[in-house]
Amino acid sequence: MSGDAVVTEIDHDEFNPRGTLALILVYFAILVVMWVFMYFVEFLGNDLTVIG
Amino acid sequence: MHIHNYEKIWLVLAMIMIVGFLTTVTYGATAVGIEMISDEEDTIDPGALDEDPRFAEPRVEQVGENEYEAYVVAQQYIFSPDPIEVPANSTVTFYVTSPDVIHGFQVAGTNANTMVIPGEVAKLTVETEEPGEHGIVCNEYCGSGHHVMEGKLIIHPEDEFEMEDDE
Amino acid sequence: MSSAIESGEPTFLDRFPQEAKVVRSALWSSFIALTLGALFGIIQTLHRTDVLRVFSSGNYYTILTAHGVLMVVSFTIFFLVGIYTWAVVRSLDRPVEDIRYTWTWYGLMVLGTLMALVAILGGFIDSIDISADVLFTFYAPLQAHPLFYGGLAIFLIGTWLAGADWFRSWYAWKQENPGERIPLQTFMVLITMLMWYIASIGITIAVVIFLLPWSLGIIDQVNPLLTRTLFWFWGHPVVYFWLMPAYLLWYTVLPKVSGGRLFSDPLARVVFVLFLLLSTPVGIHHQYLDPGIADGFKFIALTNTMFLLLPSLLTAFTVVASMEHGARQRGGTGLLGWLRALPWANPAFTGMALAGLMFAAGGFSGMINAGLNINYLVHNTLWVPGHFHLTVGTAVALTFMAATYWLWPQLTNKPIFSRPIALAQVILWFVGMALMSNAMHVAGLIGIPRRTAEPQYDGFDFIPTFGSIAELDLQLVVGGTLLTLSAILFVSNLVLSISLPKVSGLGQPLPPALSGPDDAPKVLDNLKLWTAIALVLVILAYTLPLASIVDRGGLFGPGGTPYPTMIEFGSTLLEIYTPLTTDWISGWLQ
Ligand code: HEM
Ligand SMILES: [Cu+2]
Ligand SMILES: [Cu+2]
Repeated sequence: MSGDAVVTEIDHDEFNPRGTLALILVYFAILVVMWVFMYFVEFLGNDLTVIG
Repeated sequence: MHIHNYEKIWLVLAMIMIVGFLTTVTYGATAVGIEMISDEEDTIDPGALDEDPRFAEPRVEQVGENEYEAYVVAQQYIFSPDPIEVPANSTVTFYVTSPDVIHGFQVAGTNANTMVIPGEVAKLTVETEEPGEHGIVCNEYCGSGHHVMEGKLIIHPEDEFEMEDDE
Repeated sequence: MSSAIESGEPTFLDRFPQEAKVVRSALWSSFIALTLGALFGIIQTLHRTDVLRVFSSGNYYTILTAHGVLMVVSFTIFFLVGIYTWAVVRSLDRPVEDIRYTWTWYGLMVLGTLMALVAILGGFIDSIDISADVLFTFYAPLQAHPLFYGGLAIFLIGTWLAGADWFRSWYAWKQENPGERIPLQTFMVLITMLMWYIASIGITIAVVIFLLPWSLGIIDQVNPLLTRTLFWFWGHPVVYFWLMPAYLLWYTVLPKVSGGRLFSDPLARVVFVLFLLLSTPVGIHHQYLDPGIADGFKFIALTNTMFLLLPSLLTAFTVVASMEHGARQRGGTGLLGWLRALPWANPAFTGMALAGLMFAAGGFSGMINAGLNINYLVHNTLWVPGHFHLTVGTAVALTFMAATYWLWPQLTNKPIFSRPIALAQVILWFVGMALMSNAMHVAGLIGIPRRTAEPQYDGFDFIPTFGSIAELDLQLVVGGTLLTLSAILFVSNLVLSISLPKVSGLGQPLPPALSGPDDAPKVLDNLKLWTAIALVLVILAYTLPLASIVDRGGLFGPGGTPYPTMIEFGSTLLEIYTPLTTDWISGWLQ
């Protein structure tokens, strides 16, 4: 199986998931930007403001 | 239990984001004044809408200088009144109920959107802006003819709008 | 852990042949539902877009009910019971206590499904009085034939008994292994089932006390807001019932197929506990636009829901970190360069990874749905199916399919017929869903409603913000077609595997976590404590709203009109039962 070609063993203490942190920060940025866009542009900018 | 530092960073960011979302929604509810459909209206007997002063004759009524109320009945598979006619730049409160099953009421493509549940009266206030025509759709499945259930909201220019008196 | 032990290991089938048979049967039931569901899915797609209308628009809703029920009840839950049986037996390393009992709950689930399906498909035949055109939410006063509610009840009983089976195994194991940590997979299974038992309170009351007697004519009306609220009491946690087996696979199998190990066992436990605590007291977020529920209760649901994001956000980190660990062990380097070192040629890996990616997107549209007032924008538009085809329809469904490629050989001692087809299949699903769900989200924002046979109206047109309706329809149709093709490839690949000769050495042991259970505080395994807290939260979140609904409208009304009424069947039974039950009900109400 191709999933098992382990080259180096890395244990918990020597493993810093830098790539994961980078990816998740990008995701965080996307979420924030999209939320602001959806809430303030798509929703509050939409017709018929609901007030009650 | 040791949590990796990066994971702690993410945990903090996630919490900040959640609080941020809650803040945005609260801002919309308070500063912008968007209220949710609620339980202010009393329940109603869905079998006796024709005895109710509001729904016996579905209609639009002027209740203040620039304020209108629309009493709307959603039933398999029509909305009445149809069309609903109101002036631009006014405040319109929809009261919507159903004599039969659950329906939806959405002015298509706008934020005016509510569930219509037999026995309950949905109350929804909106501010109209530009004159124009909008479709109204039933957006909850209500039976085999659900897809033909539509209506219309006509927003007239203020100077052309006149309430016709019901005789 | 060394790669030498990877081959030649006995498989699950070698070790537990009887259990393997149950797991295979459950998975087959699941995949039959998937196939039928996909067939109905493509019919809907073509019908809505007016490309091809084979059935009348009235029958559209029969089809949609079948699609919804088959996909989110049968496909997902049969898979769950299969994978959970595997997970418990494997992680406790002991056979089930009594295989006849195991077959009994499986049999009940099959029976329940068939009953509901007969009721639903009866909707096609006008000459018989059986139908259940009520969609999978069966909001009263829409009425289904009693067979539908009865089938649902029996199916649910089957799942409860399945849970009891796993608790029984754990209990027996505990006697022999006092003081040991609950193995991670078993822990996940038990927590899921505790959540499920709590959630079931809502639907049990709705079905057994109200809807079933009402469809039998024993009571003549129900309170639609009450039964709807009880439905969502169950209806949100059921979302996690679909997701938690996928999470189990992401936490325990995905690291393995990535060539690494789970980053953190303790955090996995924390995540599952959070699900148990938070997934029920949020159901009212499906009712943000319901009249008759105070806005304060809606705000509480909002807050709980937002915190329910936490376990999923934590999962995103842990799971990606486990993949990164695998990639780095396989020689991956750089900040993001390791992504290339992942085993992209392995369909089990690629499928699960793409499923996770889709979940990231679905998570976002879910945040919008959950956002209280912004729900005005999207409620009951096509945006909503756009959202859940990313979550249950991909994050869950694609994970299940991908995991099957990994697990199936260990249940059958036969390899998968074709790995290239498997790889193409998972990619097709991803591409098809990207198209279909994108079109649905966009269509929703311009107000196109969901659950509608002909979203083309006489009096007005929807106005697209960019592009055209025709383009959206095209996207939907192409996406739906690719998805259907993908589902067919998946099932065919398994069917063709049947004919392959048996081989040995397909076993795939699962490596321990990097940070193991010993790092997890003992209190995490205190199931009683978590159940108690979960119950308290549910009571806090639901007592007042339910009391207020009953106070306003009564337990059995104001009714609305049953549609359609199940007259014939009802009235016969009515004659038999009415005297009995009216006495009982009026006695009970006093
Ligand atoms: C072959 C793949 C699929 C296709 C082509 C497809 C297509 C569709 C379409 C077009 C709708 C919207 C119908 C409407 O609102 O009028 C729909 C609804 C739905 N789909 Fe799918 N789908 C597929 C797979 C799935 C999967 C895998 C799941 C879940 C595991 C799923 C669950 C649902 C549910 C729950 C609904 C909503 C039913 C309702 O509103 O009552 N679908 N599907
Ligand atoms: Cu409708
Ligand atoms: Cu929910």
